[in-house]
Amino acid sequence: MKNIGLFYSFNSIKTKQQAQKIIKGLGNGNIEEVNVEDIGNEEFMKFTNYILAVPTWFDGELPNYWDEFLPSIEEESLKGKTFALYGGGDQKGYPENFVDGIGIMADFIEKRGGKVVGFTSIEGYEFESSKALRGNQFVGLALDIENQAALTDERILNWTKMIAKEFN
Amino acid sequence: MNPDIKEIYKIKTTDKETLLKWYQLLRLGRSLDDRAPNYLKQAIGWSYHAPAAGHDAIQLAIGQVFDRNKDHLFPYYRDLQTSVSAGLTAEEIIYNGISKDTDVAGGGRHMSNHFAKPEWNIHNVSSCTGNHTLHAVGIARAIKYYKSKGVAISSQGESSVSEGYVYEAINGASKEMLPVVFVFQDNGYGISVPKKDQQANRKVAKNFEGLKNIRILYCNGKDVFDSMNAMTEAVKWAEENQKPVIVHANCVRIHSHSNSDRHELYRDKAELNYVREYDPIAKFRRLLIRYNRATEDELNQIDEHVKEVVKKAHKAGMAAPDPSPDSVHDFVYAPAYQPQKFPDGTHNETSEPKKIIEALNSTLKAEFRRNPDTFIYGQDMANKDKGGIFNVSKGMQQEFGHQRVFNAPIAEDFIMGTANGMSRFNKNIRVVVEGAEFADYFWPAMEQFVETTHEYWRTKGQYSPNVTVRLASGGYIGGGLYHSQTIEGALTTFPGVRVVYPSYADDAAGLLRTSMRSQGMTLFLEPKALYNSPKAATPIPEDFEVPFGKARIRRNGSDLTMITYGNTTHMCMDVAEKLSKEGIAECEVVDLRSLVPLDKETILESVKKTSRVLVVHEDKVFGGFGGEVSAYISEHAFKFLDAPVMRVGAEFTPVGFNRILEAAILPNTEKIENAAREILTF
Repeated sequence: MKNIGLFYSFNSIKTKQQAQKIIKGLGNGNIEEVNVEDIGNEEFMKFTNYILAVPTWFDGELPNYWDEFLPSIEEESLKGKTFALYGGGDQKGYPENFVDGIGIMADFIEKRGGKVVGFTSIEGYEFESSKALRGNQFVGLALDIENQAALTDERILNWTKMIAKEFN
Repeated sequence: MNPDIKEIYKIKTTDKETLLKWYQLLRLGRSLDDRAPNYLKQAIGWSYHAPAAGHDAIQLAIGQVFDRNKDHLFPYYRDLQTSVSAGLTAEEIIYNGISKDTDVAGGGRHMSNHFAKPEWNIHNVSSCTGNHTLHAVGIARAIKYYKSKGVAISSQGESSVSEGYVYEAINGASKEMLPVVFVFQDNGYGISVPKKDQQANRKVAKNFEGLKNIRILYCNGKDVFDSMNAMTEAVKWAEENQKPVIVHANCVRIHSHSNSDRHELYRDKAELNYVREYDPIAKFRRLLIRYNRATEDELNQIDEHVKEVVKKAHKAGMAAPDPSPDSVHDFVYAPAYQPQKFPDGTHNETSEPKKIIEALNSTLKAEFRRNPDTFIYGQDMANKDKGGIFNVSKGMQQEFGHQRVFNAPIAEDFIMGTANGMSRFNKNIRVVVEGAEFADYFWPAMEQFVETTHEYWRTKGQYSPNVTVRLASGGYIGGGLYHSQTIEGALTTFPGVRVVYPSYADDAAGLLRTSMRSQGMTLFLEPKALYNSPKAATPIPEDFEVPFGKARIRRNGSDLTMITYGNTTHMCMDVAEKLSKEGIAECEVVDLRSLVPLDKETILESVKKTSRVLVVHEDKVFGGFGGEVSAYISEHAFKFLDAPVMRVGAEFTPVGFNRILEAAILPNTEKIENAAREILTF
């Protein structure tokens, strides 16, 4: 079995492109791509290490596919598992809820015993508030292709180097 | 998944019966919502329809947490699903949609898609979006005062929060710490206007985060469980803590704003697609299936059942009676108090004369002693020994306490709107408000004033706002543009409000008593220049009463009728005396006392007697109330006239501050005398 599960919506072109860059950045073949729109609990739980793509929808919400899947995760069931989160946001259009989705997901995981890794600096971003904030860091990788597309590759590369060390 | 909110309802643990009930309600609401445009296409009705699709989850939650035995619900015009969830039947929705006599909101009198059932505390609200926030605050004040259970729930779109009165309402609820739940259903648009054009914060509830005593909850209004949990928490917290809550619910608007809007003109295809993808009912159905809480068959059976329910309701709607054209004059005015001791509003009292200010003060106190459910508030109403700027309410707070006699914020619409709301709590309540410190400042309250005039008629007699609006009116005090206005010319144009304007202390007492004992709204205009005038002082019998619509002949005469009210009654009396002393004419002075209803009988009788009429009032001649009196006489008593009906009033200008300007603008005895002499030449 592959060691890392990379969960994202296969229907989302932008997220898919970012997923491919992450795979390339991690540089190994130990990653299994999973379409989050089709998963069941069993398929999700089989991994130890996770990379979850969590874009932010509307004014700070999870996409339906995550929202509808998460109730399947039982209390305490994520103990011993490690999660790295990334997601897109729009810091100019939605400065009050920039990458909230990552923060909502991180809260959910931590509440159920999972470990979240791959925090990144907020330097270089301009926004008003975010549920993804942990002090001066995001609780994952914040991508903004609406306003900072040119920085995406570098951000992904740096982040993959960081999380590669965190995964068992 | 909101850390501030206890997760009571979850897909895996909520009992199946409840889940299926919700699904059925959602499907029923959506079916009716989807069907509404067909009635317009077939020219049957429902010409105003603001679709609820996309707001379904939060609306389901509002209706489910509402308990008609203790709560009060103020739905807005997009709240079809809320109304279904709160218990309205498919028939009742359709009766309202196609404006049938059987419509429980008000027999087809109000616009379609304005669902209500006053009998169940689901209130009939205005089309002025968000204005019912003030009514919710008013009734919450009563809930708190009477230590009743329950809360007021007010629902609106996020764009209507831009209205000033919404801020007044929430500020008032925060200050008074009232059990109100304000729900903002945020679909991103006010008709075609995106919310970035409405306010700086994308979530408008953030605008209120600086207020004290208020809790703000944010939820996903497209998600049944998040909405149910947020609304449950909101209602529970508001009731337990006796403080307000705002629930900001993110929704999507799947369709256009209404049937007069075309959203494809301002929303691109991508947006139209994703709002459909986020359909709350589709999501709920997926969850039910995914977590094995219901089978496809079970849900399909519910869908089929709903189809039958809607079909049956449609048939009932088509067979229901239309309102009768003969009924249009029903329920314009709620029943007035009929004076018992002084049925015609006259007396033979000979005791020491009292001034108008004493008359008002003593009558207010007497009525407050008589009815413990009486309240008075306004600006600068009471602070220790000060009882209002003119001392009308002096001593009342000391005698009746701060909960019955209190100051309001400087927010006229708030004063007027919360009076309307408070009066809804029970039929014994009588609210007296000083609508503004001076009548001149009443204009900001006009929106609520107009709204209140509609209530009784719009609900087909189900609700009468029992409110007396007192306003210190008129000039002759050197007050300039904003301390001299007398505004009856505008305010008598609204059916549904009685308007009285006494000239003497006894009538002031009698009309105030009648107003405070009546159902419905009375506008009580007080000529403030006469408050302390010895001229207006009269003996006043105990418990004096003056019926509405009964003029008083203050001086008998045979040559000329002067029809007047307020300040100018005394001028007419002076002119009449002068002309009598000079042997020129005997003038009859008719003091109208009530403008609405108008005592047409006394007017006609006097005209028959004198054949000459001079209408005198302080307000402007052009557009003034005298035009209505004059036209009535011309139409109904032309054959008795020997001269044209003439009018004396203010110039068609504002009232200037300089005394020279004021004198040139307002009517006076000289102008009245000149006009009287001219009429007498015919």
